[in-house]
Amino acid sequence: MSQKRIAKELAELTESPPEGITVELADEANLYEWKVYMDGPEGSPYQKGKFLVKLSLPTGYPFKPPTVSFATRIYHPNITNDEKGSMCLGMLRADEWKPSSKISAVLQFARQLLSEPMPDDAIEGRIADQYNNDNNRYREIAREWTRKHAMAE
Amino acid sequence: MADHSDHEDRVLCHACGAVWLKVADGLTCPQCQSEFTEIIEIPPDDAPPEPHFESDSPPVNPWESHNAWPQEDMPRAYGFMGSTPGSPRYSQHTYRSPDGRFVFSSTSVRGGLSPRQANTQPDLEAPMLFDSLGSIFQTFTNTAYNQRAPRGASAMDPFDTDHHGIEEYDDPPESFPREPDAPQPAAQPLGLVDLLESFRREHVRRPGRAGAHGVAGPNPLANPLAILSVLLNMDRNGDAVYSQEELDRVISELIDHNAAGNAPPGASTTAIQSLPKKKVDEQMLGSDGSAECSICMDQVELGTEVTVLPCTHWFHFSCIEAWLIQHNTCPHCRRSIDSASATPGSPTSRTHGEGTSENPVVIPDSPEVSSPRRRRRSSPFASLSGRSSFSRSSRHSQAQAQAQAQAPASPDPNVSRTRRSSGSSRNSRNEGSRGFTDWVWSRFGGSNN
Repeated sequence: MSQKRIAKELAELTESPPEGITVELADEANLYEWKVYMDGPEGSPYQKGKFLVKLSLPTGYPFKPPTVSFATRIYHPNITNDEKGSMCLGMLRADEWKPSSKISAVLQFARQLLSEPMPDDAIEGRIADQYNNDNNRYREIAREWTRKHAMAE
Repeated sequence: MADHSDHEDRVLCHACGAVWLKVADGLTCPQCQSEFTEIIEIPPDDAPPEPHFESDSPPVNPWESHNAWPQEDMPRAYGFMGSTPGSPRYSQHTYRSPDGRFVFSSTSVRGGLSPRQANTQPDLEAPMLFDSLGSIFQTFTNTAYNQRAPRGASAMDPFDTDHHGIEEYDDPPESFPREPDAPQPAAQPLGLVDLLESFRREHVRRPGRAGAHGVAGPNPLANPLAILSVLLNMDRNGDAVYSQEELDRVISELIDHNAAGNAPPGASTTAIQSLPKKKVDEQMLGSDGSAECSICMDQVELGTEVTVLPCTHWFHFSCIEAWLIQHNTCPHCRRSIDSASATPGSPTSRTHGEGTSENPVVIPDSPEVSSPRRRRRSSPFASLSGRSSFSRSSRHSQAQAQAQAQAPASPDPNVSRTRRSSGSSRNSRNEGSRGFTDWVWSRFGGSNN
């Protein structure tokens, strides 16, 4: 079942991609690993950046949630500040995942998170503190990182 | 190393883990050029690890270094002066990490060299062994009786909020307050209590709807590997871990526990099979005349047979079956598929065989809501016998707890409410489902008073 549904979702996303998001398979033969290019939302410090996001679907999809990670380094309270770039989305947690959630919704939610970080649910506490207490500095660093990592090519 | 850096700030790179002196290399990582760095402050009163005459070995025994000999003078009483060459040596060594978050301590006892001492060696060790065993059981019983014990079952296990004695229940148990920036209190060792706790949790975690009595009763042999891994995990000492791998393991374990603990359990096959099926009619297709199964996202045609949940959401049977095996909630609105079963005579009520008209089993509407007040009467686990004897007993008087311990644990909390005497609560139904924990409890808990 998972293959059929994934193929359907992929077709849907390729035909009418949500704003600022393009998807492709990392490997044509493998439906379970996706490459997603996400444009930094306007008004956010990630503006003009192009972020490569990896989406992995478990074989149990849609009964198990996909995982989303940023291959492009990004300075964000909800994304781990390491080479893994793991993103912590509430809707992707095992106990919150619903099979009726679509990948499109997941990706849109992830992009929304770039505009509106959730410092209360942060994975990088230090960045969350900075976001709350010294927002200008946070934006400055995030912009700097975007320039450095997400605009190179 | 500690001498010159004590008063100078060091900087830690979060990207590559490098540490350097701030004065030497500034705030940018000299190794990876990352700016994601942090100044590490070193408390001035932090003494470097004391040099010791005895080489340290990591504790080979998880409880060895903590509280096993509550009396300070114990080693001296046995003549373990340590500094006397040739005599058996007792040494204790404590190391506090620079940021004060970890305290490692190790205790080692080494046999003496002189023939006279060697002769008495077994005698020296025997009382100490008993002493430490005694203190383990002490901890065990204290934890069971004392509801406020920091590491006690009632404070640690989210499921236990369901099992507090129903009348004595006053306020939700708090987790043990922690000071994230201060040194942690010395961790209790991984003792028998922890072992049994983890063991018990193992069972509680996957009760399943199939967990009617006798089907999924606690089985001590269910996971011997789990016990073994706890036993072999000797280098872990309460909250203190010694290696990055170990820390990662602990963290991922916590994450797993959390995920598994919050997710609703799966539904039983009978419950799934007995869900009503129905052919799709025009009304179900909605105003635009088309609808899809939100699991496989296939369009459904008029007349397709679908399975309808109590919340009226519907899916292909094969789709919803695959989900319900894992979680007993609607994938759309998260309502439990068991909610209808509270009404006697409804098709699914027989899956909860324990309910009777005077003692109905109430199934919560939404199992994922974990408010203790809401759940305490309607726990999905309340009907599982033998799994909650620790926490339940902890709310009763000692005498009563002891009475309970000698009798088999009663299968539902109502028994403890009616305060049946120990002899009469023997009940043929729960014979088969008495847990290993009960056995240990009656063995050690009952005799220790």
